[in-house]
Amino acid sequence: MEPPKIWREKRQKYLALGISCKKCGKRSFPLSEYCPYCGTNDVEEYRLAETGKILYFTNVSMTSDEMAFNAPYCLGIIELNDGIKVTGQIIDCDYKDLRKGMEVKMVFRILARDGHEGLIKYGFKFTSM
Amino acid sequence: MRMNGRNVFVIGTGLTKFGEFYDRDSTSLATEALNAAINDAKIDRSSIKSAYFGSMTSNSSPHSVFSSKCLRECNMSIPYTRVEAGNASGAAAFHQAYISLASGIYDCVAVIGSEKLSDFVKNGTIEKILGSTIDYQWEYEIGATLTSLYALITKAHMREFHTTMEQLASVPVKNHKNGKENPHAQFRREIPLDRFLSAKRISDPIGRFDLATHCDGSSALILVSEEYLERNSEIKNKIPILSSEHSTDVLALHHRESLTQIKSTVTAAKKAFAKVGIEPTDIAVAEVHDAFPISEILAIEDLGFFEKGEGGNATEAGLTQLNNKISINPSGGLKARGDPFGATGIAQIVEIVEQLRGRADKRQVSEIEYGLTHNIMGTGVLAYVNIFGQEEMKQ
Ligand SMILES: [Zn+2]
Repeated sequence: MEPPKIWREKRQKYLALGISCKKCGKRSFPLSEYCPYCGTNDVEEYRLAETGKILYFTNVSMTSDEMAFNAPYCLGIIELNDGIKVTGQIIDCDYKDLRKGMEVKMVFRILARDGHEGLIKYGFKFTSM
Repeated sequence: MRMNGRNVFVIGTGLTKFGEFYDRDSTSLATEALNAAINDAKIDRSSIKSAYFGSMTSNSSPHSVFSSKCLRECNMSIPYTRVEAGNASGAAAFHQAYISLASGIYDCVAVIGSEKLSDFVKNGTIEKILGSTIDYQWEYEIGATLTSLYALITKAHMREFHTTMEQLASVPVKNHKNGKENPHAQFRREIPLDRFLSAKRISDPIGRFDLATHCDGSSALILVSEEYLERNSEIKNKIPILSSEHSTDVLALHHRESLTQIKSTVTAAKKAFAKVGIEPTDIAVAEVHDAFPISEILAIEDLGFFEKGEGGNATEAGLTQLNNKISINPSGGLKARGDPFGATGIAQIVEIVEQLRGRADKRQVSEIEYGLTHNIMGTGVLAYVNIFGQEEMKQ
């Protein structure tokens, strides 16, 4: 894991930030300096909605070393209540109980760890409501 | 010069066996393939003025600058370019080589695809490497792997079009049957349907045996311009590249409108067919990107060979078997041939060229006018589509 990268991205990863465009009014994810819809840099930070529903889901058993402590885990594409879609892990649940349309809320958790004494990467995951 | 550039031909092909070669490095594999292609073209190696290497991981320490070492071992001192486009690096290198000839910059170039993946034995390393073919920050680091994204795509296709597990498994069953006849394939044996169905799921509904294996291998081509052929009329076995197109889609699945269509494949195919002035039904044989069973089903739909949603049905009904409605992956595809990322896109072209030359032995498709190759990166952020024709055809 790369310390400068974790440091650089911690604000957007920890706070789940996107942007809201002051010119065309559209919101987008992830955080960026320019609006992907109209190209202006007249944008402001926007905090994503914290609740949403599951659109697609699966489970993951084979994953990279630094995420293996957590496997197997459930993963899905979530449509947040502000219309923005994100990929995220769905935790504290059994895979067999997941359904399309199930309501979930965003929580703050450990995403990856570099062994027992290395860096820890945090970010959002989802849990059922 | 015409709008579409000069006519370009493939005059030589070379391929190593694909598999796990713990005793060989990237340079050794690439050198074998390039020498084979030069010998096949029956030209003097001094005619080759530039080389394009397709490789995804060759900048990682054990394989650094294998391109330079390969050219040195082939006794060639020419400028080279390494092209990286994830697991479509081979097709990307081919496309750049094609442009260099079509534009009139060069008259004779070599294209080499090479990958050495059996060195990465530690669990999770390949998943991390493939993480760079998807959205690394917002898919991979969040917990997604390439396999899990294809699991989402598979489930979406099953939900939308009632595609069944049996239909999905009939893709690798067919490809292993074809691969049995391919001397360069990693796996030369048939695998029965229930082995796929009963295997442990690694990302539901994708099972342990559904993935193409990440292995070692190298492939090479010699490409020339029409002007070069006019000057060297003794050259036989020239296969015209009728079109070479690529296209793109957004990187992350969560930014796409639909998971059941790879937009980059659709647009690249449309451009390729329009340039040649033919329809998908004119293609007799195609090598498509079957990294997962759903990948081949999406490919045969998005390339226009079957209606959207009909890919599973068509495969189960045998329509994509050798010498049926359309022969898909006569080489065995990524699944049976094995998938050394950068070597794959060029190995697909080698197969189609050999098919058009009538040199595919027991895998030979009869009466081919046109053949097609299709190679994609990740979940389709890039797609490459090439169409080849018979010797006498012109672009
Ligand atoms: Zn805007």
